[in-house]
Amino acid sequence: MDEDSTTADMAEGINTSDRVIDLINQTHLLTKDSQKIANLKHVQELIVHKDPTLLDNFLDEVLQFQHDKSADVRKFVVGFIEEACKKDNDMLCSVIPHLNLMLSDAAQHVAVIKKVILCSMQLYRVALKWLVNARTFGEEMEAVWDQIQEIKRKVFIMLDSENDGIRTHSTKYMESLILVESARIQGSEIPKKPEADMSLDQIPEEHGLLKRDELEKDGLHGFELLLDLLASPSITSVNLMACMGSLTTIAKQRPQFMPRVIQAFETLHVNLPPTLAKSQVSSVRKHLKMQLLNLLKHPSSVSLHSNITTLLTDLGASEAEIAKNTPKVRESFKRPR
Amino acid sequence: MSGKLKVAVVCSSNQNRSMEAHAVLSKKGYNVKSFGTGANCKLPGSAPDKPNIYDFRTTYEEMYRDLESKDKQLYTRNGILSMLDRNRRIKQRPERFQNSKEKFDIVVTAEERVYDQVIEDFNTREEDSGEPVHVINIEIMDNHEEATLGAFTILKLCQLLEGCTDLERDIDEKILKFERESNRDILHTICFY
Repeated sequence: MDEDSTTADMAEGINTSDRVIDLINQTHLLTKDSQKIANLKHVQELIVHKDPTLLDNFLDEVLQFQHDKSADVRKFVVGFIEEACKKDNDMLCSVIPHLNLMLSDAAQHVAVIKKVILCSMQLYRVALKWLVNARTFGEEMEAVWDQIQEIKRKVFIMLDSENDGIRTHSTKYMESLILVESARIQGSEIPKKPEADMSLDQIPEEHGLLKRDELEKDGLHGFELLLDLLASPSITSVNLMACMGSLTTIAKQRPQFMPRVIQAFETLHVNLPPTLAKSQVSSVRKHLKMQLLNLLKHPSSVSLHSNITTLLTDLGASEAEIAKNTPKVRESFKRPR
Repeated sequence: MSGKLKVAVVCSSNQNRSMEAHAVLSKKGYNVKSFGTGANCKLPGSAPDKPNIYDFRTTYEEMYRDLESKDKQLYTRNGILSMLDRNRRIKQRPERFQNSKEKFDIVVTAEERVYDQVIEDFNTREEDSGEPVHVINIEIMDNHEEATLGAFTILKLCQLLEGCTDLERDIDEKILKFERESNRDILHTICFY
């Protein structure tokens, strides 16, 4: 019975393998981007989800499409890289150099660069978990880590890009980086998805490859860069709002940053960029109000409630709105009076 | 147009404003979906304090039959039956934005309260991929005439944005241009999936 099922499995494996070869060959001949992507999606389904043992065999064949002339196909390859590494962490060794190269390619389409930034953001977390759990470190792992640090340095620079979309995506990368490179403390909001939960304190103090103090320094540097971005007089309204959202997420998950974030919002409130049009000012003020209501709800903001409520009142929040978002614990402080 | 932009149009009940825009945009070949953010779908009833309330699982067809049996003359006169007839030709039933897992490039809302609810929903969802979505509010009064005008305003906005070679680089400027041309105040923000 067992033998039968093993034979059946092997036969199916061969069939899947043949199917993948067939699909990849077909894809090379196709001219329409949508058809190419549909085929590659099918390949992804087969080798990432159905039979991941085939992933290693066909990785290079799929990676070839990173040179396709269509930006959409190249974007798909980046998404494939992310899925493959999440499924099998060892794939990081083969694919991280590709991401690094794509990020450095001056001729690369901006949409692909943005996708690479988001993929690198996800894989930074995946790589840290992988390295934390590794028992021994080979040269390959060290090389991956070096490449990841190189990507990080590139995104630090991209936060100042002339292209606003790249700035937006770099802001999201920084948000994730700061969360990963700072410690979870009491009051930290913890993401529901386990894969999103990674923090500095989960890295052993004596780790062969990862240096906690260096990572923490980088995270703090990233946080300062986000604060600088928020205070930049030439920032667009969209990036200003993206940056506010990132800082709010950071304050909720890492309350040690809460006082600096509130202080930065106070400064922003009285120094909105002069370049914003009237309706953009309305959108930004509304967005700021939403972020502050969110922070008001957080248990770690209690000592800053008077600052937050003053700001909220200035932004037009009603007493009822403020009361609704103020945690009940505050009420219990009031009762004895 | 290339149909590359994924657009969601959202009002409260996914009946009038969002469905009018859905009809206009899909006729023009846009990749569009429509939603409501309310807890239920509300349609006018025999008096202002007696609305017809349906949950989002009810099909447009069932609503049509229900109102036809309640008072065919009234619901023909006030245009509700023809609106439901239009809606049932577009899709089976209203959809609640908060229950949708689909990703869009642009979410256009038809009033500020709906805009707030959409943003609140994004704040509640746990972010995953970090892909951006632009949420844009265009104030449209909830009646047939304004819904018609509003749908064409949304179409103009989509035409402007669809023409961008790099949406995120150009969107701020395009929205300001759109505001000037349409003489409307727009709210615009960015959220993330």
